[in-house]
Amino acid sequence: MSGRPQRVPAALAAALALGLGGAGCATVPSGGRVVTGHAGGQAEQADDPYVRLIPAHPRADWKPDQLVAGFLAASGSFDDDHRVAREYLTGSSTAWNPGARPAVTVVDAWQAPQAEQTGASTATVQVRGKRLGRIGPDGQYIADPEDISEEFQLTRGSNGWRISGLPDDARGGLLLTKSDVDRSFRTMNLYYFAPERATLVPNGIFLPLVNRRDLPSQLVQALLAGPSSWLGTAVKNDFPEGTRLRRLTLDNDTATVDLSGQARRGDVDRMSAQLAWTLRQLSEIKQWKLQIDGDTVAPEATGEVQPVRAWQGNAPDGPDAPSTRTGYVIDAAGALSRLAGDRPQQVALVSRRLVRPAVSSDAQEFAGLSPDGRTVLTGALTNGGATALRTLLTAHAGTRFTAPGYDRDGTLWTVETSADKSWLWTRPRGKPAVRVQEWGLSGREVTAFRVARDGVRAAAIVKVDGATQIQIGRIVRSADGTPAEAGSFLPVSAELAATIDLAWRDYGTLAVLGRRQGDQRVLPFLVPVSGSAVSSIGVGALGDPTTITAAPGQSVLVGIEQNGTRQVCRQSSPSEQISEWVCAIPGTDPAYPY
Amino acid sequence: MNAVKRSARRALASSRRLLRAVYVRQRRSIQLRVVTSTLCISAVVVAILGAFLTQQMSNALMSGKVKAAQLQLDEGLSTVRGQLADQPETGDRLNSVINTLKERSGPSGLYEVYIRDVHDQSLDGYSSNELRAESIPQRLRDELGNAPPDTTAYTFGRLTYNGRASEPGLIVGGKSGQFELYYLFPLTEDQHTLTIVSRSLWGVGVVLLLLLAAIASLVTRQVVIPVRLAAQGAQRLAAGRLEERMRVRGEDDLARLARSFNEMAANLQEKIGELEDLSQLQRQFVSDVSHELRTPLTTIRIAADMLYEYREHFGDPAVGRSAELLQSQLERFEALLADLLEISRHDAGAATLDAESLDMRDLVLRAVGDIQNLAERKGSKVLLQLPGEPCMAEVDRRRVERIMRNLLVNAVEHGEGEDIVVSVAADRDAVAVAVRDHGVGLKAGEGQMVFDRFWRADPARARTTGGTGLGLSISREDAQLHGGWLQAWGEPGAGSQFRLSLPRVAGAELRGSPLPLVPPGAGGRPLFAELEAGE
Repeated sequence: MSGRPQRVPAALAAALALGLGGAGCATVPSGGRVVTGHAGGQAEQADDPYVRLIPAHPRADWKPDQLVAGFLAASGSFDDDHRVAREYLTGSSTAWNPGARPAVTVVDAWQAPQAEQTGASTATVQVRGKRLGRIGPDGQYIADPEDISEEFQLTRGSNGWRISGLPDDARGGLLLTKSDVDRSFRTMNLYYFAPERATLVPNGIFLPLVNRRDLPSQLVQALLAGPSSWLGTAVKNDFPEGTRLRRLTLDNDTATVDLSGQARRGDVDRMSAQLAWTLRQLSEIKQWKLQIDGDTVAPEATGEVQPVRAWQGNAPDGPDAPSTRTGYVIDAAGALSRLAGDRPQQVALVSRRLVRPAVSSDAQEFAGLSPDGRTVLTGALTNGGATALRTLLTAHAGTRFTAPGYDRDGTLWTVETSADKSWLWTRPRGKPAVRVQEWGLSGREVTAFRVARDGVRAAAIVKVDGATQIQIGRIVRSADGTPAEAGSFLPVSAELAATIDLAWRDYGTLAVLGRRQGDQRVLPFLVPVSGSAVSSIGVGALGDPTTITAAPGQSVLVGIEQNGTRQVCRQSSPSEQISEWVCAIPGTDPAYPY
Repeated sequence: MNAVKRSARRALASSRRLLRAVYVRQRRSIQLRVVTSTLCISAVVVAILGAFLTQQMSNALMSGKVKAAQLQLDEGLSTVRGQLADQPETGDRLNSVINTLKERSGPSGLYEVYIRDVHDQSLDGYSSNELRAESIPQRLRDELGNAPPDTTAYTFGRLTYNGRASEPGLIVGGKSGQFELYYLFPLTEDQHTLTIVSRSLWGVGVVLLLLLAAIASLVTRQVVIPVRLAAQGAQRLAAGRLEERMRVRGEDDLARLARSFNEMAANLQEKIGELEDLSQLQRQFVSDVSHELRTPLTTIRIAADMLYEYREHFGDPAVGRSAELLQSQLERFEALLADLLEISRHDAGAATLDAESLDMRDLVLRAVGDIQNLAERKGSKVLLQLPGEPCMAEVDRRRVERIMRNLLVNAVEHGEGEDIVVSVAADRDAVAVAVRDHGVGLKAGEGQMVFDRFWRADPARARTTGGTGLGLSISREDAQLHGGWLQAWGEPGAGSQFRLSLPRVAGAELRGSPLPLVPPGAGGRPLFAELEAGE
């Protein structure tokens, strides 16, 4: 057997050489064909990376003021149901549990806590700060600026100072600074139906981002809990009273929403639409299934597995807005013209001069102001023919009208305003104009007023203490559909000053002409109604913009005045926010039909 | 419980059996042995190689990761320095820093960030996304805490998260002023890569092992099969088939082996043939010489007889004495010649068995009667131990009598006057006769040599009393002709015993003897030779 001891090592050596040789050949490719793919879906705000505060555990050697500072910091951490913050508490206050959706007192910043020892083992700590507002348990933020002072009662125990008495604001909720809120809250939209309508209305709320994974169920729970106090009665929740979320599971990109039995009484289609629109804010969910008590229910339109992009018919911007929606301008001759490309084509020759036109969504009717703004005129839209203008409203002494606007029903809205008073006028088609009885801005000057395409929300430019503010309110309709109340106006953004005009770009964004604080020029901006940062539209020279109009998927049109000539500018590409302004349309006062 | 025990025991036993079978097979088969040792050695090598490769791969992967992580950390630290330097109040700025840092990692979660202001005691820093602060091991914090400013350190640990499973990760940390910045890189992807690589490595290793075993099996098979053939050939050669040859194929080592084997076989065959011829010639010569001597001997005999008869008539008594001497030496010469003829008959295979059914006791009695005189002269007493019933066997009377006479004469001659015991026994298949003397006995090795031709216990002893020196040889040949045994036992000073065992039926195979070869009572270390008939 002399062959054996030689052959085995030889075979091994060969295997080794092969293995090493093979390993030596492994390289990363340095050439080859081009592999293409699709860009991911639009990034949602919920997917942004976020930052969490890591609270410190209380220490025995801390003084009372340090302890309170620690507690205030720890309140900003939602981990483990505020477990660490509870470590700061003792006695009766340990029952404190703000829960997953707490009421929050938002403070700009705390001043250093002032401690006062009241006994051998008791102390009082005062914290002062400027309150900005509150977030209710429903997630609605209400601005309520005031200087506040909170008082904490402390006792010293075996493990150092602990809080035994919380101030009122903290007892049922949290005291957080603005940066805490920015960090740990997300604004999410809940979708509810406009009354007697197929349109969904977004209801922006603040939701604590406890954990990104819990966000879907948190969101659905918030949706089931109903609209926030702000939107309240203006919308309809199609989930029957008492419906709970039993379970929300996520399998790959398919979510299963399991509702309790009460949901059987609800309309599956409408509930699905609300859920789909709410869930589509989460990029990880691409499709979902609706279950009631564990049984899958399937709307006829989509089947069991519903894509989140379904229910487009219930879009807040209206069902499938025609992408070829064309704009209207007043041409150089003073006639209302439809834009064909960059060329205005007259559609209505009018006998009187008309400014700030509005065109109804069915393109049957138009309205406008007289040049002095004291008369609201309407006319029927005929193709190229002469039209008789009817005076709808005439202003009282010292007042003028804002640019009129239609909503999707063809109802005309305008605000008559003086320096310290205003009235909201509405005119359903074929009926006389009436004043809305409950008008939330009646004591203020309103320079612009636009109803959103969902017909429930309205944006206005309001003069408050000499400065302009963009505010959003809601319109409550009575049982027969006539607007009964327009109120609950809340400021949207404080970033822009000297706002001139606004228009709804889509359900979540306003196109606003205004001046960023610190800027000199008035420019068009996109203002998200959620309160996020504003962003400018387009690049390139614009003269002095005077009017703006926008529509979903369409170029924003801006009427400008430059060296005495008036023109309408449009963005060169409607889909890109940063695209050049093209000022080639002779005319003024652009308007998209609603 | 019992059943479990039982089945466990059974399994143990069967596994032991299997191991034993493998061991036995392995001892018997070179091929199996080579394959097993190849498997074992290469398994060890592959295991070492695999472990080494995976280790190497993991090291390379990790060092790349660490390098990238440290670059990332350096960049992060410079951002922190730029944004936070000399700022006493931290809250929002820290936030913005961590946001900046995090946003660079993008949404795929390449890394998480944790930043901490060691001066601000009221909070423990900020972490990105779901990362929990426990992810940063205390040892890293301590290391950084004690280190001079602008040091970085890294370690591996488990990253824990809110609401999802923890994962292994690389944690790098650096210090810039009062700020500690940590980057945490999940290693799940790398783990995945390593798992895939090592899994395929082990798969390749197993395939390699099997391949090596197959190759070893094939190679040894090529070697072992000719060896086996050679072994078979040698066996057949040993069995006497001298014409057996191996097949020669090719010109390699194995062909050389076959050729040498064949040469050896041919030489062997030739030599054995020569020897056979020679011994045939010798036998013939002895036989011829014996025959040729007979005729003159007869004449000499007649003359000698005549001289002997007239010995008293010779004047010189010395002549008469010479005639007597001549007579006795002639008798001896005749006996020698007869024995030579007898043994040459045996050698030539011409001896035939003239078997008849006889009672061994009669044979023994007659033989004892014949030597009674001689025994008395020597002073020995012959004791007989005979069974009560007849011991019938098919034997050749003449030959058995000759054997008995030989044994008895030997016993008397070497018995030193002591008693001689003759015992007879029989069982179902065989009869046996043992002749025991208490003389000088046999030395070690002599038990075999007594049967050699012309062998004498004491070479100095005169050949006067003894027989021809062929007696025991012929007796042995006779016993073997019956298919029986003739065996000797002896011990110096304790005497000796010769045992004749014969099958009851002539030609039947003998399996055992009814009498022991070593006489009962003769203890100690028996020196005996046991040569079986037919061996």
